[in-house]
Amino acid sequence: MTGAIVEAKRKGTNWLIVPGIVWMALFMVVPILMICYVSFWTQTTFNISSTPTLASWKQFFSSDTYIGALWTTIRIWLIVLATTFIIGYPTALFVGLFVKSKTLSTVLLVICVIPFWTSFLIRVLAWRPMLGKEGAINIILMKLNIISQPIEVLLFTELSVIIGMTQIYCVFMVGPIAFMLGRIDRNIIEAARDLGAGFGRIFWKIIFPLSLPGVVVGAIFVSVMVLGEFATAGALSGRKVNLLGNIIVTQVGSLKWAMASVTGVILTVVMGIVIAAFLRIVDLKREL
Amino acid sequence: MATETAIFEIDGVSKSYGGVNALDGVTLRAGVNEYMSLLGPSGSGKTTLLRVIAGFEVPDSGRVYFEGRDITSLPANERGIGFVFQNFALFPHLTVRKNVAFGMMHGNTRVSPSEIDARTQSVIDMVGLTGMEDRGVEQISGGQRQRVALARTLVMQPKLVLLDEPLGALDANLRGRMRNELRAIRERMGVTFLHVTGSETEALAMGDSVVVLDRGRIIQAGTPDGVYSTPASPAVAHFLNRFNMFDGNLSQGVFTGPFGAVAVTHATQAKDDVYAIRYDRVQVQPLGAVTSGPALKATYIASEYLGSSVMNYFETADGKLCEVEHHLSLGAPETYEPRQQYLLTWAADQAIVFGKEGKL
Amino acid sequence: MESRTLKPVLAAYLVAFILFLYGPFFVLGILSFQQGPDGGPQFPIIEWSTYWYRQIFGLTPPSRIAPLPVGEALVRSLVLAFMTMVTSTVLGVMSAQAFRRKFRGSTFVFYLIVLGMMVPGVLTGLGTSLLANNVIGISRHWYTTAFATHVAYTFPFAFLVMLAILNRFDGSVEEASWSLGVNPWTTFRKVTFPLIFPGVLSAMLFAFTLSFDEFPRSLFAAGGTEDQTLPLAIYGTFSVEIHPNIFAFGVLTTLFSFALLSVYGILMALSVRRARKLAMQEDIA
Repeated sequence: MTGAIVEAKRKGTNWLIVPGIVWMALFMVVPILMICYVSFWTQTTFNISSTPTLASWKQFFSSDTYIGALWTTIRIWLIVLATTFIIGYPTALFVGLFVKSKTLSTVLLVICVIPFWTSFLIRVLAWRPMLGKEGAINIILMKLNIISQPIEVLLFTELSVIIGMTQIYCVFMVGPIAFMLGRIDRNIIEAARDLGAGFGRIFWKIIFPLSLPGVVVGAIFVSVMVLGEFATAGALSGRKVNLLGNIIVTQVGSLKWAMASVTGVILTVVMGIVIAAFLRIVDLKREL
Repeated sequence: MATETAIFEIDGVSKSYGGVNALDGVTLRAGVNEYMSLLGPSGSGKTTLLRVIAGFEVPDSGRVYFEGRDITSLPANERGIGFVFQNFALFPHLTVRKNVAFGMMHGNTRVSPSEIDARTQSVIDMVGLTGMEDRGVEQISGGQRQRVALARTLVMQPKLVLLDEPLGALDANLRGRMRNELRAIRERMGVTFLHVTGSETEALAMGDSVVVLDRGRIIQAGTPDGVYSTPASPAVAHFLNRFNMFDGNLSQGVFTGPFGAVAVTHATQAKDDVYAIRYDRVQVQPLGAVTSGPALKATYIASEYLGSSVMNYFETADGKLCEVEHHLSLGAPETYEPRQQYLLTWAADQAIVFGKEGKL
Repeated sequence: MESRTLKPVLAAYLVAFILFLYGPFFVLGILSFQQGPDGGPQFPIIEWSTYWYRQIFGLTPPSRIAPLPVGEALVRSLVLAFMTMVTSTVLGVMSAQAFRRKFRGSTFVFYLIVLGMMVPGVLTGLGTSLLANNVIGISRHWYTTAFATHVAYTFPFAFLVMLAILNRFDGSVEEASWSLGVNPWTTFRKVTFPLIFPGVLSAMLFAFTLSFDEFPRSLFAAGGTEDQTLPLAIYGTFSVEIHPNIFAFGVLTTLFSFALLSVYGILMALSVRRARKLAMQEDIA
């Protein structure tokens, strides 16, 4: 009797979660399961049928292009993860720890976020006149007589992809780290300094460990975005750099659904491993 | 079962959170037009009890009746029971007037706009907030917020109002004044108040009846006078904060404690042997004085002026603090020499004795 | 801290960092004033002109360079972003509301929802189009399949914002409302919602901008050219030669974003100032 009352009461607010679960199940979980399912379909030149086969899987692992795309994706991901961290951390350190006024640090963070109000694609495109042979960087360097010939490796290479991605994604590293640094109790640092610890020691023993959850959250953001990328690589490498995302786009473009799905499954697996590894370090629900 | 004289009745209500019993088989009833105080230390389950009656919590077992109706599974908004929160829980985005009119405007009983205006104004006048109607509730003082909280509840004309430490958020000065006002307002409206408090003075001063709660159980219920003069257990006596309590041993009508062996005429059944004597029943005598009752040597430490009385603090040989209250109505207080020994004494029949032996 | 040496160094670094973030935009802004229609998307500036801006609004005579196909795409993107904003904010508020009570499986549901912002758009986009195209056999549109994937992406953001707001929300005002005989739904409308409104506004802002700019999901889940959203229209110009008109367009969309951000900022500032004014008056009283 009373059990039924408790049950009724619980149902009172719990139905609110149902639409959210249903939406995510239908439009996220089912589509991803769909990718796994279709990766075993039989692909012919003009058609696809649901007869199960491993053909597309075999094709993926026997093709240098596809395997190459997998390694390129992992390489670019690791490089961009490192560059966003190296470039972002000092910024976060300044904004989160050295700026004493809360207002100023908020203003600085807002300044960093403002570029995100421009369309993502235009942000990517903006690097072209910057890096090109007749681009701003070459012009400036030549005017300063640092170089006599324009540097050509700046655009339509892997380097330009890395530069572009670093600029686009480093703010996702700065934000969480600055947030964690801002939460550090300044008294701890004062106390350590009173005990005669130098900045290097204080940094490695106190500041860096306390900012680590921010680093991990930032790394998760950067990772999921870089791993799923294709537009930056497409626009800044002149189609020379092929990521898994680019493979999916071109395969879908030529209606090779099965191959696109195989690539999708592999991307999902890579993503799953990366996210799971990061979540092992930090409990996201608690940090929020 | 609920009877006609009881406005509400709870029957064997239990509630636990994660294995911890907040309420453990509580049975309680209150009559129409009664002021009942619910006294208990923090964690005693008194707030949980109030929330169960209000319908914010569903009990694990047991029933709740209101006006003879079983309301155990009725949602809070259909109960018609008022609730005044410790933090007042006013609607911060509304003015005083809108706060007071809120229940009539949005509640499930239809009230005509003219009646809403009239009732709102009259209750605002009654709690003394005339002229404040259009202020935001963040713009008024703590005492005024308390009145808004009360007005908002009373305007719905409930038969029962639950008050959860309503004076806890006010400063001492205001608390005294609001105490009197709460009583006066209640008498005027003829509603039953169930007032939860952690303060024994508040409970004893305000309630027509007092219920003492400890670890989810009712350990005593009665009139303030009854509870005060005959606490049912050492726990109640301890919680009333009005007794010097001595551990000892009760055996065949003789209590042996720090003051020696004393004959006891009657004792209350309890788990432990405890000897309790009220602060204001103790006399201070010079050392060597001849006493008729039990006597205990103690060193005077300090005294504290409490307005209507003076509290003198003494320390016994085994380091226990004893308090002696002197009511100023009985004459000017004596002064004692610090660090000097005195004799604390009392009439043997004034003591309340608890013991495993129980009634003699 | 050796802040005497370290602080200026880091401050200088921050300036360099901001230059790095903004550099491309300056270049983009400068080149958008390139002479037209013959000037290319690179230096040097042949002659300063507003030709490309006028071209976007159809104020120039026809030339060999086709105007950007953005008119209808812009409308579609705005409508889609609005639909997404409303849906994901409603879902976000509902779900966060449910999370105020512990329930079995809440950790699982939390991660299920948060996963939506982590799974790359290529995957949800691909999966949704597979589902629509090959399994169910319905055609894809910006207002159906693309809309569904957009919400699956923005709803987690709205959810997290509302969760943070409701975590700090004192539920006793709701209980007070119930005890006054007001039913839970009216209580939500008249008490809870007005009090969490700043959070709702933030959730809406998140959802709108994310959806407005969303590209990979639309690429897969929207249909053909008659389903192009703004990012898709821009992407379309990538494959062919680019012209300064896209730079001019970039400047305009940035300005539009700023206008939107300013409206949000003003609304927030007003509610904060009202709260502060009340607090000050209380101090005086």
